[in-house]
Amino acid sequence: MNKVKQLFVALGLIVGAIKTAQADYSLNLIKGVTKVSNDVYDLHMLILWICVFIGIGVFGTMFYSIYHHRKSKGHVAAQFHENTTVEIIWTIIPTLILVGMAIPATKTLLELDDVQNSDMSIKVTGWQWKWEYEYVDTGVHFFSNLDEASNKARQLGSGIDPRSVPNYLLNVDKPLVIPTKKKIRFLFTAADVLHSWWVPDLGWKKDAIPGFINEAWTYVENPGTYRGQCTELCGKDHGFMPIVVIAMEQPEYDAWVKKELADAKKGADLSDQSPADLIAKGEQIYAKNCSTCHLPDGKGVPGAFPAISGSAVVNGDINAQANLVLNGKGAMPAFGKMLKADELAQVITYTRNALGNKVGDAIQPKAIQELLPKSSAPAKPAADKPKAEAAPIADMSKDDLVALGKTVYGSNCVSCHQAEGQGNPPMFPALKDSKVVNGDINAQIDLVLNGKAMMPGFGHSLKADEFAAVITFTRNSLGNAKNDMVQPATIQKLQAALPAEDDDE
Amino acid sequence: MSAVVAEHDDHHDHSHDDHAHGPEKGLLRWIITTNHKDIGTLYLVFALAMFFVGGIMAMVIRAELFEPGMQFVNPQFFNSMTTMHALVMVFGAVMPGFVGLANWMVPMMIGAPDMALPRMNNMSFWVLVAGVLLLASTLFMEGGAPASGWTLYPPLVLQTGKALPFAIFSVHLLGISSIMGAINIIATIFNMRAPGMTLMKMPLFVWTWLITAFLLIAVMPVFAGAVTMLLTDRFFGTSFFDAAGGGDPVLYQHIFWFFGHPEVYIMILPTFGVASTIIPVFARKPLFGYSSMVYATASIAFLSFIVWAHHMFTVGMPMAGELYFMYATMLIAIPTGVKVFNWTATMWKGAMTFETPMLFAISFVVLFTLGGFTGLMMSIAPSDFQYHDTYFIVAHFHYTLVPASVFILMAAGYFWLPKWTGHMYNEKIGQLHFWLSAVSVNILFFPQHFLGLAGMPRRIPDYAVQFADWNMISSIGGFLFGASQLLFLYIVIDTIRGGTGEKVTDEVWEDAHKHSLEWTLPSPAPYHTFTTPPEVIPTEHF
Repeated sequence: MNKVKQLFVALGLIVGAIKTAQADYSLNLIKGVTKVSNDVYDLHMLILWICVFIGIGVFGTMFYSIYHHRKSKGHVAAQFHENTTVEIIWTIIPTLILVGMAIPATKTLLELDDVQNSDMSIKVTGWQWKWEYEYVDTGVHFFSNLDEASNKARQLGSGIDPRSVPNYLLNVDKPLVIPTKKKIRFLFTAADVLHSWWVPDLGWKKDAIPGFINEAWTYVENPGTYRGQCTELCGKDHGFMPIVVIAMEQPEYDAWVKKELADAKKGADLSDQSPADLIAKGEQIYAKNCSTCHLPDGKGVPGAFPAISGSAVVNGDINAQANLVLNGKGAMPAFGKMLKADELAQVITYTRNALGNKVGDAIQPKAIQELLPKSSAPAKPAADKPKAEAAPIADMSKDDLVALGKTVYGSNCVSCHQAEGQGNPPMFPALKDSKVVNGDINAQIDLVLNGKAMMPGFGHSLKADEFAAVITFTRNSLGNAKNDMVQPATIQKLQAALPAEDDDE
Repeated sequence: MSAVVAEHDDHHDHSHDDHAHGPEKGLLRWIITTNHKDIGTLYLVFALAMFFVGGIMAMVIRAELFEPGMQFVNPQFFNSMTTMHALVMVFGAVMPGFVGLANWMVPMMIGAPDMALPRMNNMSFWVLVAGVLLLASTLFMEGGAPASGWTLYPPLVLQTGKALPFAIFSVHLLGISSIMGAINIIATIFNMRAPGMTLMKMPLFVWTWLITAFLLIAVMPVFAGAVTMLLTDRFFGTSFFDAAGGGDPVLYQHIFWFFGHPEVYIMILPTFGVASTIIPVFARKPLFGYSSMVYATASIAFLSFIVWAHHMFTVGMPMAGELYFMYATMLIAIPTGVKVFNWTATMWKGAMTFETPMLFAISFVVLFTLGGFTGLMMSIAPSDFQYHDTYFIVAHFHYTLVPASVFILMAAGYFWLPKWTGHMYNEKIGQLHFWLSAVSVNILFFPQHFLGLAGMPRRIPDYAVQFADWNMISSIGGFLFGASQLLFLYIVIDTIRGGTGEKVTDEVWEDAHKHSLEWTLPSPAPYHTFTTPPEVIPTEHF
């Protein structure tokens, strides 16, 4: 009995050992977890077996011939050199086999392409080198980077054994979460270069192309974690932008959405921080967001990514640097859209006081918040705008309005219409001598409130006094002298009549 | 050239004439030569040198991928290596290798004294050298060599540093060189065949090169156009490939692959030609289905123009486009199958011997067919959504290039070296080279199928640990394959310097003179051959 037991244990160990070994020597296509991925797998196996079958026939004949029809065995060469019947047969049979392959292939392709009747949509944007996910229906929005442990281990000469890192290079800081048993439509685009989004378990990949939108869909039956990678060469860290999809049951997923929305509401912490705190926290943000291009030591890559150490920008005016970081330039993405005000303040302060720089100054989250475009402020100042300011605002003198208007113009209009109001035709019209600015004041107010083509509507983003001020400023400055004005109270009434701002924006 | 010879024939006796019109002395011979054999040698030597340069880059890639984690190079340089490896191997090694063979063999096979346009022949070689050197120089430029893959897809390629305009100009030079070479081959084949050498009597190598030359003329200008659009997008404010200016990044991919797909056939059609030349000689049988081989080659060439977007199944084409390109691509299996069946039927009931060229040719048929099978698998669009841009495709195209084009270039070397040099190569070392190469090439590339199917993307410098084992095996195969090629270098040098010392006959291989004209010439082939056309024309079908 004991021996039988031992035998079973030994057998179990052998099977276990083989299984572990197989895990590392996987041979075949991943079957995946969706109906589509299983259909693709079946198609793959069908063609594979057809190829194996043909291969055995052709190679078998060839090797038979090589063995038997050799001169050393005394075989004398026949001299035939064509046979029309045979040649027709081996043209027609492959044609029929191909038709047999094309039918199931067409079926699966049509199935893969059908994105209709989806339950929800997720917009996926490829960035160098991270993924951005926007849940179109709920407004949940975040970036997904390579996780920190993998990122440390993957540095040249890190000395960290990748085998000690769980899910090395296939783990992210914030995974994509989807509900099970729902048809999910994905919309793909890219911010910079081509990327391609591939999770083998879902059975397909789709390119993310800047300026274009591609569609694909999935329906995951069971909860689980599914991992993938970018599959279109997208620059130096192409190998380091993995994808992790977690499929959850609907109730868990709903709870996750709720938490995400609550976290997003919290927004940035705008309280002042000591320079030491800013620098300490900035170091982590630099490691995660900046070091891939500017390198961990700030030396950059000459010709492609400028050095931070000793940089004229970093050692120059702090507001100029902040503007560059917020709005981007060339290959540098606009981080104003990706990081919160406190994180931006931290990383900017860090670069000025580390990596070989010793400027010795700091910028506070509040100052960054001022520089951020108002509409994209992460935390909408808790609905205090329209209602809390319902009381009528006192009238102001024209000079006061023009003075206030100048600063409002400086932070809201100048980037398109330029400092002297000369604009940037044909894209951005000049305000100087503009027909609108020098025409009916109500028509101008209407345009600024609601926007037109490239011009955004400022009805929601400016306060009534700021709005009145900037209108008055444009009509009495920048080379215009209409000598009229509008009072904040008038604007306030117009703003109250505007449709409510869409919360999902 | 022949006019000059004829003029001298009036004044001197024949042997004196041969002496007077030998090659120039010293280095100048190789720079100013217009002799098709000299230029063929230049091309072949250059291709072999570039094969090792590209090979060293491959070794860098396989060394970095030996283990998970980054050990030797940074990711940007790794990307430069994959890009330059491909460009050097395609434009520096394989294409010039076959142009070298064409230069040596086409005139000798059709009974012509030289190429039709000898001075242009010289120029096309030196323009090639300039192009490849310019490309190589980008490795030392600020921002590094191009690192966006040999396909040079925008917008990524526009992020290249100082190297971009140099790389683009080098592509222009390579294109000019290829077009001049192609014009020369077409002019030679159409105008300089010996009397009685009708088109359907030409050796298949000549046929495949004729068709390849037309492909080159058709598609090299397309590639030149695509890279010129990159140049203007980067430097002159155009937006061909930039959506923000009304362009489309996918447009580049359509243009590139309209060039790129015929381009891969430019590398494989002459391969078919050499295989169809070697196999009958060692099977001691005429080639089976000569005319169907010619038609199959022409069909493949035609199909190569109408299947390009199967490289782009994942870019989001309309359904009609996906279906069309899937069906059209599947069709390629038919003429390719005909070729494989014909080679098998040529061996059938032959009296085969297995010298090194035959070994390489047989392994070409087997391993190229494997690459063809994976090609068929990838033609199925829904499956390609899984295979695309993984190591599965890396395995596929390396099977159709390394144990196909490269093996056949080596087979050609063993096959014709005795004719070129008058010396026999060392058969034992040749066979050792074959077996080492054939085994290691499979250790190198076969596991890459598994890696791709398991989910490893291509063009990544580091990978998740579940891919570690097959990568290590693949790298070991790579190092073995790379080291084995040093044997080939040794054999080539040894053969040039005398080889086994055995005096080779004119036909070198038993009854080879029945198959093709070059075996009726002395070994080594004299500096000038067929100054008077041959009288008897052997044909593939005897």
